[in-house]
Amino acid sequence: MVRFKFEGRELEGREGDTIAAALHANGIKVLSHSRRHHRPRGFFCAIGQCSSCLMEVNGEPNVRVCIVPLEEGMDVKLQPATGGELKW
Amino acid sequence: MVNTDLLVVGGGPAGLAAADTAASLGIDVLLVDEGRAVGGQLVKQTHKFFGSGEHYAGVRGIDIPKLLNREENSQRVRILTDTTVVGCYEDGVVSALTGEDNYFKIKAKRAIFATGATEKFLSFPGNDLPGVYGAGAVQTLMNQFGVIPGKRVLMVGAGNIGIIVSYQLLQAGVPVAAVVEAAPTIGGYLVHASKLARAGVPILTRHTILEARGKDAVESAVIAQLDDNWQVVPGTEEEVDVDVVCLAVGLSPVVDLLRQLGCEMKYVPELGGHVPIRDKNLKTATGWIYVAGDVAGVEEASAAMVEGRLAGAAAAAELGADKQEADTVISRCLASLDALRGGPVGEKIRSGIAKLEGGAVNA
Repeated sequence: MVRFKFEGRELEGREGDTIAAALHANGIKVLSHSRRHHRPRGFFCAIGQCSSCLMEVNGEPNVRVCIVPLEEGMDVKLQPATGGELKW
Repeated sequence: MVNTDLLVVGGGPAGLAAADTAASLGIDVLLVDEGRAVGGQLVKQTHKFFGSGEHYAGVRGIDIPKLLNREENSQRVRILTDTTVVGCYEDGVVSALTGEDNYFKIKAKRAIFATGATEKFLSFPGNDLPGVYGAGAVQTLMNQFGVIPGKRVLMVGAGNIGIIVSYQLLQAGVPVAAVVEAAPTIGGYLVHASKLARAGVPILTRHTILEARGKDAVESAVIAQLDDNWQVVPGTEEEVDVDVVCLAVGLSPVVDLLRQLGCEMKYVPELGGHVPIRDKNLKTATGWIYVAGDVAGVEEASAAMVEGRLAGAAAAAELGADKQEADTVISRCLASLDALRGGPVGEKIRSGIAKLEGGAVNA
């Protein structure tokens, strides 16, 4: 198993998962929010094309979590649509 | 600057077949792919392919990449994974990014763009809710990562992808509430549709999705019947209890890089949208770029592989490969494509390609 953090919560994923697949397996479907109305967004394409799953990973914003492999100790967070600090 | 005779952009079925063919004809190839491994979307195609032996019938999609990436050609094919082509310039320079910070330029005498296609979207209220997925995303989640997408699924689209993914959902133990299809007939192979019907999944033709409902994710969907003019029949609206809406409404070619190059396009709905204009050997008017696979018009992986071989052989011939050998491959591929596109199933593709011929270039 691979241990990682989502919004401070300790979660487990499987070796070989992408971050998005591991989050989904933990029941987490909301990965981002729309810019103006803050509507919840999940992933749509799962192959790095649609930009609906951008998250902050280890302090770096705008990571396409649907194609990035999960690694031990990763710190995964929600981000505003533009990246950076959450302001709401 | 990395110099190469032939650059192949994209390591899915078309790109791998192109590299394999060109290498067999003695040409050095550089193949770049943005994924962690080559194979493109074959990595999630756990089902067995149809057709003849030449088209890998009976072989599961996931097993095809290694057949196309042969040891005997490993000296001639250099593969760079995790590498995204980010720019194409007028002087024939292509720039690429490996990982996060290794940015470099490539100069190729010929290039084959096999960038594939991306899932089409559908317009309806709630279509942005988590739980609305492209059919390919559901396949990725289930077949590649072993994660089920949800508890109950509404499938939108009864083409081959919608039908096959519905069946794979059932195999994974996820109930499919219904398959809705706006057209009056089922587009996918009947052998697959029959499997669904036997499992008790209703395939509702002339039906569409009107809305996805839910707060933070899909909690239900509203479907309705359509009349002969594709208009909703009032009073037929029905709310279905699902937490996943899967859209299998087709693919559109990923032509961004070709556009950047100023490659001439034509809108051909039968081929999935805007496609590059090219000659019968898949060469564009740029003079140095070929296209192959879904980027040239959305078809099945079998056709993509043949197109890859065709473009690979045609480019190899221009790069000094034995002309007779290359010509043999070219004519075999053209015949093979005719066979794949034959009969009533290929009618749409044939009419799409006929529309392109008006603007085709003769290289």
